[in-house]
Amino acid sequence: MNDTQQASLVAGAIAPGMLACGVRLPDATCRSYSFDETWPCEHLDKILHQLAETMTWLAGHGLAPHRLTWTFEQGQIFLIKRPDGALLALATQPNTVAAENVDQLAEEFFSLASGN
Amino acid sequence: MSAPAKQYQLLFVDDDGDFLAMIRDFFVALRENTWQIHCASSADQALEMLKTRKMDLVVSDVNMPMLDGIQFLHILNRRHPDLKKAVITANATEEKRSACLAEGAELFIEKPHTPEGLKSIFIMLEELITWTPQEGFQGVLRRVGLQDVIQMECLGRNSSILEIHNQQLHGRVYIEDGRIIHAQAGDAAGESAFYKLLSISSGEFQLQPFEPPPGRTIEGQWEFLLMEAARVRDETMAAQALAAGPVSKTEPAPAVKTSTTASDLAARVEETLICSGTGDPLYVWQCPDAQARVALLQNVAQQAVFFGQLVPLGNFDRLEIQLAGSRAVAQVRADRMVFVRVATTGENPATQTQ
Repeated sequence: MNDTQQASLVAGAIAPGMLACGVRLPDATCRSYSFDETWPCEHLDKILHQLAETMTWLAGHGLAPHRLTWTFEQGQIFLIKRPDGALLALATQPNTVAAENVDQLAEEFFSLASGN
Repeated sequence: MSAPAKQYQLLFVDDDGDFLAMIRDFFVALRENTWQIHCASSADQALEMLKTRKMDLVVSDVNMPMLDGIQFLHILNRRHPDLKKAVITANATEEKRSACLAEGAELFIEKPHTPEGLKSIFIMLEELITWTPQEGFQGVLRRVGLQDVIQMECLGRNSSILEIHNQQLHGRVYIEDGRIIHAQAGDAAGESAFYKLLSISSGEFQLQPFEPPPGRTIEGQWEFLLMEAARVRDETMAAQALAAGPVSKTEPAPAVKTSTTASDLAARVEETLICSGTGDPLYVWQCPDAQARVALLQNVAQQAVFFGQLVPLGNFDRLEIQLAGSRAVAQVRADRMVFVRVATTGENPATQTQ
């Protein structure tokens, strides 16, 4: 995924209620974007790293997810896994436009892998 | 024209006027036509009322001034030996329970704190008031609730073995002198087996003569075991409904999806595990590896804490895991953790609703 594609994805992610988003590529490099001061990029990087490990851990326990949704009182973290291993993490406030847009962003994330 | 339903006379004895008012309101609302509720604020007043009116059931508190509940039961036993008696107390100790049962109480229950608790008590009292001892029977769970049968056996202080089976499960509940002492369901034994059997929605049962069980794995009071079983069953259904999805993309999923029927869920649920906050399995159904699922729940709980330390998230509610062909939900609470996986079909990985 090149810089233009990432920029396009991030532009699409900007919506009321979006706290942060990030991409972790199959080579383990991360690129995070924060839209809220309480969600610094370095923290999202840590979360992304942890979530990548969780995906591996779950697969080792017979559950190979392609999507995780962590729901908290004040926020949701979505993790979407592409067949090539790339991960998209989105952190949103619940019941917001950003949370509604997650499916659309996931589709865009998948289409980037297929080169559309 | 059918005969009018019998109206049962119930006398509640408690020095707590608020509790009596609550009982009257709640039970009258549930059984306006068939229950007539009488209230007395002391044992003395109750004994006076019993001189002039025949009651079917007396429900008494234990801690009352002057004449306490245990003394009251003793007098009732002498003066009204055929009267059914129950005790509801805020201080349900084993010592008091033994004393009340020894004085002839058929039922000893803790005072409820929630409407659900009050409803459970209502069900127990209704069973008691309509209960008459029977010799050996068999039935179908859809018509007679398994809880009802166990309750009847316990109320009657019977000794029996309740054999329960459906297509997936075969199990036994051992009742000795009205106490549940052992349960087996497949490979499971003890309370988890008991809860598993009580979660069966349809099947058949048969009461068999008592014989000693292979072990004694249950010690709790039957009233609390039944209440806990009801709670476990409700939680299972709620979690299964949650996992069944799909739900709104923007709002957290409701606890129970009303549009999903129990039979739909039963057909789609692939595994369920409920464990205590410390990881002790309470209910396990079709989990390939229960310990692995407990480990997963504990892992989820730890990660939720880790995320919460990094960014402001508030309390953790649940993790939804979308897989090829199924969806799982891991819910973590301080006192309970739940894992449910249900089958899904034809969902696009990119657009599955949350």
